[in-house]
Amino acid sequence: MLSPALHPRRRARDGARRLGWWMMAPTLAVLAANSIFPLLYAVTVSFKNYQILIPVPHRWVGFANYGKIFSDHLFWSSLGVTMWFVAGVVFLQFPLGMGLALLLHRLRRFQDVLVTLLLIPTIVSSAVAGFQWVQLFNYAFGPINYLLGLLHLGRPTWTADPALALPALIFVDLWQWTPFMTLLLFAGLRSLPGSVVEAARMDGSTVWQIVWRIYLPLLRPIIGIALILRVLMTFKLFDIIYVLTAGGPGTVTENLAFFTYVQGFRYFNLGYASALAILQLIVVSILAKALIQLTKRSGIGGREAAA
Amino acid sequence: MSGDIKKLTAAELRPLSRRGLLRNGAALGASLAGGSLVGGAMFPRAAYATSTVNVECDAGQNQNPFRWQADAIKQKFGIELNHIGLPFVGQYEKLVSELTARSSAYDLLVFPPYFLGDFVALGFLRDLDQYKSLVDPQLDDYLPVYRDPVIKRNGKLYALMYDGDNLQVIYRTDLFNDPTEQKNFKAKYGWDLAPPKTWDQFMQIAEFFTRPPNLYGTAFYAQRGFCYAWFINIFAGMGGRWFSDDMKPGINSEAGVKALEMLVRQKQYSPPNILQIGYPELNDAFLNGSTAMVVQWNDLPLKVGDPKMSKVVGKGGVAPIPVRTYMPYSRVMAVSAFSKNPEDAYRVAAYMQLPEVTITYVYDSNCGQDPYRVSSLKWEAATKNHEGGPALDPDLAKAYVETIKDGLKDGYPELSIPGAPRYLDILDLYVSQALAGTLPAKAALDAAANEWNSITQAEDPDSQRAAYAAWVKSFKDVGVAY
Repeated sequence: MLSPALHPRRRARDGARRLGWWMMAPTLAVLAANSIFPLLYAVTVSFKNYQILIPVPHRWVGFANYGKIFSDHLFWSSLGVTMWFVAGVVFLQFPLGMGLALLLHRLRRFQDVLVTLLLIPTIVSSAVAGFQWVQLFNYAFGPINYLLGLLHLGRPTWTADPALALPALIFVDLWQWTPFMTLLLFAGLRSLPGSVVEAARMDGSTVWQIVWRIYLPLLRPIIGIALILRVLMTFKLFDIIYVLTAGGPGTVTENLAFFTYVQGFRYFNLGYASALAILQLIVVSILAKALIQLTKRSGIGGREAAA
Repeated sequence: MSGDIKKLTAAELRPLSRRGLLRNGAALGASLAGGSLVGGAMFPRAAYATSTVNVECDAGQNQNPFRWQADAIKQKFGIELNHIGLPFVGQYEKLVSELTARSSAYDLLVFPPYFLGDFVALGFLRDLDQYKSLVDPQLDDYLPVYRDPVIKRNGKLYALMYDGDNLQVIYRTDLFNDPTEQKNFKAKYGWDLAPPKTWDQFMQIAEFFTRPPNLYGTAFYAQRGFCYAWFINIFAGMGGRWFSDDMKPGINSEAGVKALEMLVRQKQYSPPNILQIGYPELNDAFLNGSTAMVVQWNDLPLKVGDPKMSKVVGKGGVAPIPVRTYMPYSRVMAVSAFSKNPEDAYRVAAYMQLPEVTITYVYDSNCGQDPYRVSSLKWEAATKNHEGGPALDPDLAKAYVETIKDGLKDGYPELSIPGAPRYLDILDLYVSQALAGTLPAKAALDAAANEWNSITQAEDPDSQRAAYAAWVKSFKDVGVAY
């Protein structure tokens, strides 16, 4: 039993706690309205036969929408496209971004100007960037084919060729988002203690040894964040695909995000589209978690290696 | 242009409400106070429009007739038009999203008739029979194929025509009439070079004129979106049917597979970027002189004679589609169920399709509208466009009008039952896969047919069967074989 002397202190502590909850309440309410409610609603809809275009009562269908996903060959092909796209972009973008960041880091002048110029593709709206590339890839009038023609290298049909459409999209994403990767890594490089690199140089380390044994281990948290961000961004990429290929030719560039859009907003099959969205959320969460784990114990090296 | 339009009767004019009278009185008072009366010319009626009608239409050239008629509508009805353009691809999604939310953002909706089955079933549209007394739509003058089957559902009037689309063969007369070409063609194929009457002839002509990189035999809409229409165009001529009477898909029949294989073969006679070719690119492929013959919507011939757009002025010929003409797309005008101004929306729609108004835009190269009235089928009208510039030369104008008459006698109708946008989009998806070479024709059509069955099941097979039967009957009733 508490002594009577403690009661006022406890009352004060309880009062402060209550005040804290009251002060957080508006934020929590906004968070619930903006994030939690839509998510819960999407989960609910994913278990219903919610289909706007068919005027029938909505009813619970259990896991039928989820079951349908796994027997839908268009889902599997869009998942394949997504994986190829994510893998292609991230595996190319990281070394490119790292290379550019190291080059920038070695420069003694014009760093700020170059960083500003590099960022231009990233700050251009994706719709605008998409239209630019529609023109650049144009078979008849595009400057890329004009230059290839001058070199007698033929005139590819880029986004209309089933073999080239996905690589073309990967190329556009590299153009637009490699600067973002570069910027993150460059900022990380600038934050590293110069004394460590200086000591390594005095010990006779080669450039490769410095990069592999010092930069990469020390940049590990930044690399992890950069990779997670890019994986998440490319996994749900929609705008560039919508503008540049609309998922075509056929379904060669139809990724999961585009497939979900088609189900949700072209066929208004909201139950099925919600199930697809929830499944993507789960896949992306697993991917993000795996990436975090990977960067924690990656072969890049540990904090100890750098010390 | 507005001077050619007959005056409407008093009953057709919008009655002036008490509020409108007060508002107009105030406007008159303000004008008098401002000394804006000059001589005997009172301010024009356009200065005191009493209501606004929001007109939704796919953005671009198809909004032009509304823009051209805006002043006349303001003068006659006191109605101001607010033009709202939606993207051509994605119009269905946007409309369904907004109308499901019961948005009153649009009063008058312009869309292709294949949306009509869904829109009526979902209660998005007003029955227009109740407004017919405001302005007589003169439906007896419609070409039969565009009358009841296109604008009515369940015996009720839900829409009025705005654009009568069908496909045509447009070919280069300078090539087809060239004696050397004719001689070489006859030597190779054993028949006289002329516009094709069968699909086999079409393929032979396409092959003959394929001389890359400067000339290709043909081109077609191969982009995702409407490539299905170029497939159905061949499929119709091979005796194909959308569904059997018991709603089994007809697209993966023998006729369907043959038609799709033929369309895929056309790629080899087409420009290398064929999979990027949509509506404007197909127009360009003919107008820039790089193709000998194309199948395209019937507004292309109107552009052939316009030197602003065409490098083949005076070199265009037009002929009906081999065997049977397909009628994809078209546009109708309907009044939104959620409009707060339905009567005025109807007035605008009815006015826009009156014979004397229609004829001012259906032959104009600056818009995409095409004839749908019997009274519009006058070749003389096809020789002028809106700005009075050249549109069709007299020979082409005569051939153009005759081609429409011939083609539409038994025009093959576009599917327009509940679910039609989904049936057609799925078909388009699989046709595009076959064109891209990712699926063989038979596998693509089988997959599409499977998905069609799923749509039918989801919609309810019995109601779909009944809707399809009623739709087929509506065509048979106006004399179209199906």
